[in-house]
Amino acid sequence: MSSRTTAIAITVLLVLVAALLPLWMGPFFTRVIQLFFFSAALAVAWNILGGFSGYWSFGHAAFIGMGAFSAAHLVAQLGPFGSGPWSMVVPVLAAGLICGVFAAIIAYPILRLRGIYFAIAMLGVSQVVGELVNNVRWFQGGTGVFLQSPVPAGMRPEVFYYYIFGALLLLGFLISVAVRNARFGYALFAIREDEDTAMMLGVATERYKIMAFVLSATLVGMLGAVYGYSVGYLTTYTVFRLDFSLNMIVFCLIGGIGTLYGPIIGTAIMLFITQVLLSRFLDMHLLITGAIVVTIILLMPGGVIGAFNSLRRKSSDQANTTRAEAAR
Amino acid sequence: MMLFLQTTINGLALGGIYALAAVGFSLVFGVLGIVNLTHGIFVIAGAYGALILFTQFGIDPLIAIVPVAAVMFVVGYLYQRTIIHWAISRASLVASLVVTFGVAMMARNALQLAFGPDIHTITPSYSFSSLTLGDLRIDVVRVVGLAASLFLLIALAVILNKTHFGRAIRATAQQPLAASLCGLNVRNLHGLTFASGAAMAAASGAIIGIVQPFAAASEVAWTLNAFIVVVLGGIGSPAGALVGGLLLGLINAYTAQFIGPALTQAAMFLVLVLMLLVRPNGLLGNAFGETR
Repeated sequence: MSSRTTAIAITVLLVLVAALLPLWMGPFFTRVIQLFFFSAALAVAWNILGGFSGYWSFGHAAFIGMGAFSAAHLVAQLGPFGSGPWSMVVPVLAAGLICGVFAAIIAYPILRLRGIYFAIAMLGVSQVVGELVNNVRWFQGGTGVFLQSPVPAGMRPEVFYYYIFGALLLLGFLISVAVRNARFGYALFAIREDEDTAMMLGVATERYKIMAFVLSATLVGMLGAVYGYSVGYLTTYTVFRLDFSLNMIVFCLIGGIGTLYGPIIGTAIMLFITQVLLSRFLDMHLLITGAIVVTIILLMPGGVIGAFNSLRRKSSDQANTTRAEAAR
Repeated sequence: MMLFLQTTINGLALGGIYALAAVGFSLVFGVLGIVNLTHGIFVIAGAYGALILFTQFGIDPLIAIVPVAAVMFVVGYLYQRTIIHWAISRASLVASLVVTFGVAMMARNALQLAFGPDIHTITPSYSFSSLTLGDLRIDVVRVVGLAASLFLLIALAVILNKTHFGRAIRATAQQPLAASLCGLNVRNLHGLTFASGAAMAAASGAIIGIVQPFAAASEVAWTLNAFIVVVLGGIGSPAGALVGGLLLGLINAYTAQFIGPALTQAAMFLVLVLMLLVRPNGLLGNAFGETR
């Protein structure tokens, strides 16, 4: 109970600090934290499927791309939906809806695959969708599409997107907390631990898996649409990027897969290392990211949170034994 | 009709190369149970190796297969015994997926830093000549590539089926514990299997270098191709890889010819997903090993 109130207090405090930070922060750090919000929100969304239910998707970038392109085409076809920040609302929600529907359609066949097969099939889905967007002329992925800037006059764009992505991260985090504490979350954990047993015990595994997949895809689709707005002009390769798919997994892995805070902590660590400490070695990003991934898996397979927990367990064990010895 | 035949021939020639590129992946998957996402790197590294030997020393890519495969054999052995073994023993089999992905990223970046992001091709003297048979035409490089692929695949099949080493590998695949109780050094065998897979991949890379343009970034495509071939043909056997590779080549050629060249990947993945749903063991089933 008390730990729960402290967790809520810390979250509220962090949100307040984050809301006030841009007032005296330079453009560079505003941009870095904006990227952090975006990436952490992606990782949180990925974690709902990959972390909670154990279905690792290697192709979530498909939903970023679909979200961005859906928003762009919606605006181009059906005209602007107002002006200023409010013009984003309809396209972003619609992009989430489109991604959710798409996920629901492919969910039934693709979620019958497990483990490695599911991971690779999702990689395949993202490659196929990306290729179609790039090559079917109607999608204009090769030539590129525009999105009208929704930034209100007099506001710096990085500050605007800082707040938008921050709000989306908060939304994703709250959703994942709600999922985790609901029957839904317990079902997903049961699926992760042993899907066959869960099914035998009467958990509607099929339905819960599809729900998690659709929820995750919807969130990523909305994030993708907002990302599309923040870029302004996008081609296939702006959004259908393999490193997006990979980053979601890596960030979760480093923080601790399947935990609530893991994705956020992992994103913070990785972005701090790559964007701030190593910002001068841009052409070696892949190399560095790969090296960090390999090191983390070899040294702490449970991520930062897993390592922290085992450390705490070890020290509490030690305390227990010394106490027992003292009693003797 | 002629067009159809021509497409079929092109598809089969392409398929032979797919089969060779995938057989190492299939072996590692079947024996060690690892999906090695570094596989495409081995292929591309083989192509770059052949490119260096060709441009610096004028060695024909087909002869370059031998040194390139030997180098990758050593690299593969060391890689399996260190990083991959650590990942599996400390974390899990799924973690090996991420570790190999991480290593693939590093290697791709390193290749890009070393050779630049440009697309390369190896052009030996025979690269622009072609054979004609009536109205049918086929490039010499493709014939050579197909022949070399078939030769290497058959050699691997003979090794796996007829030699002591091959029997030991198959035994390890079926039951690692029982194999080690019989006195086989399972760790060493795993390393050697992985090394053979890497060597086959590098050999295919040298052939791919003369048939198709390549760049460091194309490693992803070769890893995915290997995966599709394995799913189509079945895990762990040269015959499965051959069937899967030829099928993939045909699918690729027919789609490019009759539906649209932009949609080959889409068609390949469609077949992959359908295959996974209908017959997850592949056409030739599990060649050896129990159900995984």
